[in-house]
Amino acid sequence: MSEVAVKPGRHRESTLYHALHGAGAGDGRTLEQLREAALKVYESEELPVWRRSGFWTTSFEGLDLDGLQVRHHNPHAPEGTSTTYNDDDTLSARARRVASKNNNTTTDPLPAIVGETLPERERAGRIVQRDGTVVSVELDPELKRRGVILCSLEEAAREYTELFAQWYSKRLTYDRHKLEAANAALWTGGAFLHIPAGLAIEQPFEIVYAIDGPGTAQYGRTLIVGERGADFRAHEYDLAGDFEGQALHAGAFELYLNDGARCHLAQVQDWGSGEVFDASTRFVGVGRDAYCHWLPALLGGHLVRQHLELAVSEPGGDMAFRGVFFAQEKELLDVFAVDLHETGPSGGDVHWRGAATGESRASFEGLIQIDPGAQQTHTYLQIHTMMLSHKARLDAIPSVLVSADDVSASHGGTVGELDEDAIFYMQTRGLDRASAVRVIVEGFFEPLISQLQDEPLEEVVRTKIAAKLAAAREDIEAYAASR
Amino acid sequence: MADLEIRNLHVRIEEREILRGVDLSIDRGEVHALMGPNGSGKSTLANTLLGHPAYEVTEGSIRFKGEELTEAEPHERAKAGLFLAFQYPVAIPGVSVANFLRMAINAKREEPINVKEFRTELQHAIELLDVDRSFTSRHLNDGFSGGEKKRAEILQMAMLKPDVAILDETDSGLDIDALRTVAEGVEKLHSEQGLGALIITHYQRILHYIKPQFVHIMLDGRIVLEGGVELVERLEREGYDQIRQEFGAHV
Repeated sequence: MSEVAVKPGRHRESTLYHALHGAGAGDGRTLEQLREAALKVYESEELPVWRRSGFWTTSFEGLDLDGLQVRHHNPHAPEGTSTTYNDDDTLSARARRVASKNNNTTTDPLPAIVGETLPERERAGRIVQRDGTVVSVELDPELKRRGVILCSLEEAAREYTELFAQWYSKRLTYDRHKLEAANAALWTGGAFLHIPAGLAIEQPFEIVYAIDGPGTAQYGRTLIVGERGADFRAHEYDLAGDFEGQALHAGAFELYLNDGARCHLAQVQDWGSGEVFDASTRFVGVGRDAYCHWLPALLGGHLVRQHLELAVSEPGGDMAFRGVFFAQEKELLDVFAVDLHETGPSGGDVHWRGAATGESRASFEGLIQIDPGAQQTHTYLQIHTMMLSHKARLDAIPSVLVSADDVSASHGGTVGELDEDAIFYMQTRGLDRASAVRVIVEGFFEPLISQLQDEPLEEVVRTKIAAKLAAAREDIEAYAASR
Repeated sequence: MADLEIRNLHVRIEEREILRGVDLSIDRGEVHALMGPNGSGKSTLANTLLGHPAYEVTEGSIRFKGEELTEAEPHERAKAGLFLAFQYPVAIPGVSVANFLRMAINAKREEPINVKEFRTELQHAIELLDVDRSFTSRHLNDGFSGGEKKRAEILQMAMLKPDVAILDETDSGLDIDALRTVAEGVEKLHSEQGLGALIITHYQRILHYIKPQFVHIMLDGRIVLEGGVELVERLEREGYDQIRQEFGAHV
């Protein structure tokens, strides 16, 4: 792989970047008030467009929002029966009605894609949202006895009012763009996970957002809190089957780790071949001496914009921010990943790897931001990309904004293509060309995938990447032949 | 007919003709040395025999065990029983030596090799090449020293059990201990498994450990002189210049 200087960025969003500051916890507003405020933004804003002058434009203007509905399912009903809210509902009425709906969710039906994707495994708990409704919640009874809470966010708002008020939207905002506002105003279902102090849990909690067909708007929202010294794993799956037509996932995710808490957080996103739009914002806050290992695997979606922010908010916090992405066909992926240090001493290590096939477009901006006073921060950002098609485009912009003088922060990256010498080498050992290509691409991602340190989840990611490579085989061959 | 039959092989890379009519026959169980100065076409022959896409065969043929391989894909040649130990082995990041070997072995088989059998064979190869057990969990050639890369080549050869192996300057860049280990490994595969080998070198060192039955001297894209091991001694005495003068008129 050749070492290629990554394009320097000058005038751009990141230089004006203001960290997610929150709208909710602590400011005294009720959920209802926050929903109403967000609704005003939602109604006044146009669909968002992100522009990176000279690099890329990510526009959601092609989304037919009026053609989408929040689709609800009766958790106890058999597959195929569902209720939907009509468009002539006022949005706030819809939000109210959903908020008051009783989701006593203990049984299936799960969407087919959940069974097809999630590994057979032991788990601490699992919550599944199908379109607009949480249709299944499972929690290890022993963990429940020890105080773990896993329920829909709707239920948390009703039943765990103190915790909800303390943490809900502590850092997430509702006024950055129309779809963020839509989530804040209209979210339904959702997931709430609370790990009590000192509890170490080996098996993961799984949080699933599944879109079950076209015409669906899914406003999913997750809130996770790890109390002092908690140690746990959380795996989010964002899934849709292959269908024709538009759907939307406008997601919001927040995770707060208190003193000394540790979390291995992973996200597997694959929206299938349908026209699924995804505009999501995710925030992870790392407290005093806490640690988070966060690995999003962004593996498919028609148009995906992810704002991912990992903030070390208290001294001694440390994090490893990993990510893999794979764009194919005509997909467009736009990732804005922020490694934020609000105080020191703190550590950071950001490492992303991505590949693009077909006519896809992947744009990655990674930002290290070290706030004034965050002394003794040491962080590094690297982004490696691999081109697998002459019609694909990959851009990576690393940037560093430092407002403290006793820190180390740097970035690096490579832009690679398939190494023909490596392919020939493997062929002489008996592997056919397609297998050799697969070995190279898997080897390219492997340093990150193996860091998931969870064999069933690693296999999910590996299998998905292998399937995408197989699907793009002709395209990859044509690219190799053209060079 | 010999196992590997190379007839009147002409090879071009881009617009330049490198091989200009090579004839060579190698049987299983035979050890051949191919010697010649830098640029004479030795590595081109090695790469062409395994089907490197940059080398274009313009005339002649490569047959292996009666099968026409001149236009075959590299992996088909490997499956037929040819092996190339590279002069510059390529790093395969993210793939361990053991996993790669398993993939390569399974590529040749209908049924995947069972775990126990694989382990036994790997252990055998590890001892043969005098490498540490942890060697096989490292990523193939990634960050390997020159000596480790060459050992990894012979380790792969031991596991894949080809009928005929081409060793492209396997001796270059090796210290004397590594050279002995590698050469003894090849010699053992030759004597135990009946491996046929084409040892490409421009030094005599390696031939002190593996005695070739046949020696071929290549100059300017042709084999100009053939004989037994006495040719090595003659080369040692006279150098390539003498031979070039003798055959210069013909090349």
